[in-house]
Amino acid sequence: MLECKEITKVYGRKAAVDHVSLKLEPGHIYAMLGPNGSGKTTLMKMAVGLVKPNSGGFWYQEAPVGKESRREIAYMSTEPYFYNWMTAGDVGRYYDDFFEDFSMEHYQSLLKRMELTPDMKTKTLSSGMMAKLKIAVTMARKAKVYLLDEPLNGIDLLARDVIVQTVIEQCGSDVVLVISSHLVDELERVVDSAIFMKEGYLALMGDVEELRVQQGKSMVDLYREIYGHGGEEGC
Amino acid sequence: MLKLMKYEFRKTMFSKMILLVITAILELLFLAGIFLNWDNGLAWGIIGLTLCAIVGIFYIGLESLMVFHRDLNTKQSYMLFLTPYDSYQILGAKVLENGLSLLLSGCFFAALAAIDFSVTVVYLGGFKELVSVVSQLLKQISVEIHFTTAESLIEVFAVLSVWLMTIVTGFLAIVLCATVLAGKRFSGFVSFLIFLLIFWGSSFLTNRIPNGLGTTMYYLVNILAALALTAVMYLISG
Amino acid sequence: MPEMEYNASIPIYIQVMTSIKRDIVTGKIQPGEKLPSVRDLAIRYSINPNTVSRVYRELELEDVCFTRRGMGTFVTEDAGRVTRMREDMAQELIRDFLAGMRQLGIPDDEIKRLVEEYGKQEGG
Repeated sequence: MLECKEITKVYGRKAAVDHVSLKLEPGHIYAMLGPNGSGKTTLMKMAVGLVKPNSGGFWYQEAPVGKESRREIAYMSTEPYFYNWMTAGDVGRYYDDFFEDFSMEHYQSLLKRMELTPDMKTKTLSSGMMAKLKIAVTMARKAKVYLLDEPLNGIDLLARDVIVQTVIEQCGSDVVLVISSHLVDELERVVDSAIFMKEGYLALMGDVEELRVQQGKSMVDLYREIYGHGGEEGC
Repeated sequence: MLKLMKYEFRKTMFSKMILLVITAILELLFLAGIFLNWDNGLAWGIIGLTLCAIVGIFYIGLESLMVFHRDLNTKQSYMLFLTPYDSYQILGAKVLENGLSLLLSGCFFAALAAIDFSVTVVYLGGFKELVSVVSQLLKQISVEIHFTTAESLIEVFAVLSVWLMTIVTGFLAIVLCATVLAGKRFSGFVSFLIFLLIFWGSSFLTNRIPNGLGTTMYYLVNILAALALTAVMYLISG
Repeated sequence: MPEMEYNASIPIYIQVMTSIKRDIVTGKIQPGEKLPSVRDLAIRYSINPNTVSRVYRELELEDVCFTRRGMGTFVTEDAGRVTRMREDMAQELIRDFLAGMRQLGIPDDEIKRLVEEYGKQEGG
């Protein structure tokens, strides 16, 4: 459904993403793992056209990604990106204006679940509340592909459960979900496939349960093996 | 496209409101000057309104440059570039919104000036002359006003067009600064140099457009040329 | 539905299967009762829906559940199967327990004595 071939992005002299080829199939939840600077964010940004690759490219349903694919691919960045003047309600209206798959009703109910109100100003939100707002507005879309960059970063345990639940709610047999994180054990039970990125290249990709059966290793074990240290203390 | 323009307007709404409020205050000052025979008020009103029109139009253009700079160089750029529009549509919406704002505020100030001018003439003239003389005078004046408005409208439009062209060139410089020159030292300075160079180049080019086209057409061609240049440069820098 | 503590070394589908079986054995889920849809169960346990599908598939293979086309997954109505499941689970726990005790080098008759003593202590 969404694939990239030999995609490369160079910043200065350093390759942020180095000849990565992979194929994401509907009905799966992928964990994109790797320490900071391993190319996860750059790869995701190229999938929605925010960053242009130096060579290679991303294809969505056989067509190069661009403005058309952005109708069906929802991307959530780690950093907050809403305009300063916006309230949570404005953010919803903005998405409602630009994305046909956005449901205002669903957004309202998600806000409630996240204990946010539409009149809250984005400028004054705490980082945890901002993370919840970003998830709410992204998951209120009925997209075909969700790319979530570090959705669990800097969030307390209770909020994590809510976010994980919200994410699982949106997955279906025709949906691709990618969650990037350096918190491996958080994702272990949620995902079925893992993509390990290391220094810009694809270190390993596979079905988590299969890897567990074949190699007798959990995702955390694999993470340790690939990066030489455990997930949590990696950053 | 309209939705994009709506949000472009939203970003600059606040300063436009302030401009409107200041204009209203100055207009009151001016009217008070006329009706209460308060010469100081009248003088300050005229000076203030003139300055307000010039600075206001200047600022509207400048602010769109600042907004564009922010839209490209901060995380807020995701807001625009995640929408299902391509970069030309996004840039186009910005230019259109800004052009429209400039045009509307230009027309607004021109109309205001015309009204104020008429008020002055009617009021100051109305009590001193006999009715027949006044009507004759008014006839004369209205012809005169018609003549000057037609002339000055083209003039206003021309000034606005040149300013819009400058803004578009500014857009181009910002695009260059954010893409080709990204992360390099002195990128701001270099893009300013490029801005000057292009501006000089384009005015050189537009000076060569035959004058037979008429003033309005002449400037329209200017804007189109600058826009085309921006699009080309955007494609290169992509 | 219980909050589950996950063990990273055991496949998640097995952990969820055990959890559901325990609910059936203890009567929390009645024979013949309809189980939640794949999606709902995934949300409740915060796990991948594909894992839930696998859980239902494996439970079906073990005749613990059956699927009615277009209706969903149901717990078996066979009371004997539930009893057997109860015995199996007990067996499994005893096996693990004995293996652990024997690893400590405790002879079987002492194990028996220890268990009896512990039971008395707890009861009293």
